[in-house]
Amino acid sequence: MRVDTDSVLIERSIYGRPDAFTEVVRRHEVAVHGFLARRAGRQVADDLLAEVWLRAFAGRGGYDPGRPDARPWLYGIARNVLRLHWRKDRDDAHHAVTDSHDPWDDVVDRLDSTARAGALLPAVRALPPDERDVLLLVAWEQLTPAEAAEVLGIPQGTARSRLHRARAALRPVLARTGHAEEDT
Amino acid sequence: MTPAEHPAPDLDLLAAIGQVDPPDPGVLDAARETLWSAVAEEMLGGTVAEARTRGTDRDQAEHHHREHPGP
Repeated sequence: MRVDTDSVLIERSIYGRPDAFTEVVRRHEVAVHGFLARRAGRQVADDLLAEVWLRAFAGRGGYDPGRPDARPWLYGIARNVLRLHWRKDRDDAHHAVTDSHDPWDDVVDRLDSTARAGALLPAVRALPPDERDVLLLVAWEQLTPAEAAEVLGIPQGTARSRLHRARAALRPVLARTGHAEEDT
Repeated sequence: MTPAEHPAPDLDLLAAIGQVDPPDPGVLDAARETLWSAVAEEMLGGTVAEARTRGTDRDQAEHHHREHPGP
């Protein structure tokens, strides 16, 4: 049986069948919740998931029908929702809003203490945020560099360069833990 | 994903520490319910495609009015 791609369902939802969009949500709801939970914790993910669906549904008219898999698009929306959430948190705390806020410190606090004891997380923390973003989209969300580029709205070559630099920076640490292999 | 783009084993450790438990089904249901409200509203109020058409018609009418203002 032929399974419709996400782009087919989204197009269908635009032209007369808005309910077709719910199938896209069913396909990716666990992955999008995971994306949110890895970066902001389970409770925040629970709270923000519906906001991602509402924004995606409202913005589906701008979806590129040439992209059969909606995951990178949905992660991009989830990323924006998270940024707004963090900004609101800072506003609520009466802190100045700057673009330099780095949520990675919060991520480290939530991760397993055994992993935290290793050298990996400090090394990831030390990466420039734009390199870390690409690295985690590939390592955590299992995206290709091209898909990570789509999430971040950057050229594919830029994503590949950032990933290469991030992996090069982590390689000595991973070698000490016995996880390093040659870069591909 | 091509073999060259597949996440390499050296990222396995990083991937492992990014594992999270799946969400409670109730959380997914609640989020879908919220979406359904928006879907139902659109089904009752017209589709995005119709809204696009209406917007285009209105834009053309406004353009025509600017180009050919009445007395």
